[in-house]
Amino acid sequence: MPKPPLKWIVTANFTVDGAVGYFTAARSFSRQVADAIVFASKEEAEAARLEAVRAEAVVTDPYLMEVVESDGKLDLLSARERIRSLGPTVPYGHFKPKSGAV
Amino acid sequence: MYQYDEFDQRIVDERAAQFAGQVERRFSGEITENEFKPLRLQNGLYMQLHAYMLRVAVPYGTLSAKQLRMLAHIARKYDRGYGHFTTRQNCQYNWPRLEDMPEIHRCLASVEMHSIQTSGNCVRNVTADHFAGVAPDELEDPRPWCEVIRQWSTFHPEFIALPRKFKIAVGTTPGVDRAAVAFHDIGVRMIENEQGERGFQILVGGGLGRTPYIAQLIGHFVPKWDLLSYLEAVLRVYNTHGRRDNLHKARIKILVNALGADEFRKRVEAEWALIKDGPLKLDPAEFERIAKHFAPPAYEKLPDAKAELDKLRLGKDRELARFVTNNVSKHKAPGYAAVVVCLKQKDVPPGDMTDEQMDAFAALSERFGFGELRVTHTQNLVLPDVRVSDLPALHAELSKLGLATPNHNKLTDLIACPGLDYCALANARSIPIALEVMQRFEDIDYQNDLGELNLKISGCINACGHHHIGNIGILGIDKGGVEHYQIMLGGSAGYDASLGEFLGKALPQEQVVDALTKLLHCYLGLRHSVEDRLIDVVRRVGLSPFKEAVYGPPTIRQGVAHANH
Repeated sequence: MPKPPLKWIVTANFTVDGAVGYFTAARSFSRQVADAIVFASKEEAEAARLEAVRAEAVVTDPYLMEVVESDGKLDLLSARERIRSLGPTVPYGHFKPKSGAV
Repeated sequence: MYQYDEFDQRIVDERAAQFAGQVERRFSGEITENEFKPLRLQNGLYMQLHAYMLRVAVPYGTLSAKQLRMLAHIARKYDRGYGHFTTRQNCQYNWPRLEDMPEIHRCLASVEMHSIQTSGNCVRNVTADHFAGVAPDELEDPRPWCEVIRQWSTFHPEFIALPRKFKIAVGTTPGVDRAAVAFHDIGVRMIENEQGERGFQILVGGGLGRTPYIAQLIGHFVPKWDLLSYLEAVLRVYNTHGRRDNLHKARIKILVNALGADEFRKRVEAEWALIKDGPLKLDPAEFERIAKHFAPPAYEKLPDAKAELDKLRLGKDRELARFVTNNVSKHKAPGYAAVVVCLKQKDVPPGDMTDEQMDAFAALSERFGFGELRVTHTQNLVLPDVRVSDLPALHAELSKLGLATPNHNKLTDLIACPGLDYCALANARSIPIALEVMQRFEDIDYQNDLGELNLKISGCINACGHHHIGNIGILGIDKGGVEHYQIMLGGSAGYDASLGEFLGKALPQEQVVDALTKLLHCYLGLRHSVEDRLIDVVRRVGLSPFKEAVYGPPTIRQGVAHANH
């Protein structure tokens, strides 16, 4: 089966609290990766990243992130991005349950 | 402990106010992130994977009960109910909001704390032996010397933009190293010469990271009143000749090894000759003024408690006996002991402590001491002044807090960096490996049988988890987008400093703890006695039997290699 093609989304951290944000079709940022606008072309994604750079009161250090789409779902390709999306995989604070496996 | 004078308090208050203004201008758009980043880093504020991270300085690992309560308050009000004690004796918060930073800094300043110089290319928090002031084997308390260095290096105008970060550790016990002194940019070791005069050995160029080095002896005997001028000379040589063209070659260890220790020493001596009799010569009266802050507390006159300790170690309460055997250390004052409280609870990341535990621990430090505690570079806490007769009551209270694990200096008293669960630099997670080790090897009798042994885990080559200097080290790497782990053997952070060597190819996460099990089984088969520590065996027999235990006999390994080829 052929590999699905690489696509791109724009991600950053919110300036106010550092939480992970994803650029959306509404030209704003969401805390849910499912809301991200997915670009089939790297050039379009880069244009969106530059747009995000101009919104730096809202977000910090936007960058492009490679993804693939399968069955309508986004597949984040690295452990780092999966952990960014889901949160730490280990308990913390008052022994809170872990948020999910990588 | 040291109390701020008007100058200390003023600079901390002013810095808090200055940073509040910078935060405000960041939100208003007056300054960009590129402009703001170096400012926030100067105040210990990093951006990690999911949030900001604030690193709070704990000078030479000494905290008061009042300060710990404030750390608890900040954890509760401005973070997610916990703090994390680090391998540099600091405390980190993983979830602070930028808008709360001004108030957090005001809170810290109100108890003589701050986050100044906990990041950036400057002299960082000076670290020390965690038994400072109470260890019977020390020549003198290292903390007054650390405080002198802190005052000299804070906002030092010449050294605020060094080629790279700069770490100093101080030890004052001959032949013993409880502060990993040989793995700092400068390691300061107090010694006594044949005339009975005290001075310092100055070791330079130690460090871990991608190019690990053991520090080299540069100053053989620096008279103690000349300490600051000698340190200044070392920093000047580094600041002048250290590389600024390559981030990975900018630490002083690279310069020392490029020049060679003899040439580096020559340059330092030449610089030192120009300044040693200048204003940096320490005034004994001024030193005494600082040292008075660290005068021993009002100990009761108690009889020697050796017999009482032996009785507790052999007592029917086996939990208490194990705790006293492993976690209680000798003290200068008769009838007292120093107690190591390991922040290595099952299912909790190493070094983490909740706000409730901090508050309760602060109260214990007052009830079972003089309201002072220590942070160790192995991510534990110490109650330095406990009456031996109080040990059963203290143990009972610690048990209620989940802090009575009797595993000091044992396998599960491991250290681990935050790894890929938090850190923007990491390649792999460290904490899940640590948690699995703590679960698999929970049996304290097995750990006691293994004897003194340390395990150190890093999630990347930057080595915040000190993997090179663990008797067993684990390094997380990214192999084709999948976390893998390399095992090292033979490292030591102590006076017999050594760097570990890689055992073999990296293993996937699910095989790491099984490999440790095999390795430990191999060690038990090779040792001559319980006193024959893992590090002794590795130094005696080398890595081969351990490689075989983990990866199979050489012929099979070669066969597999051929098949893969």
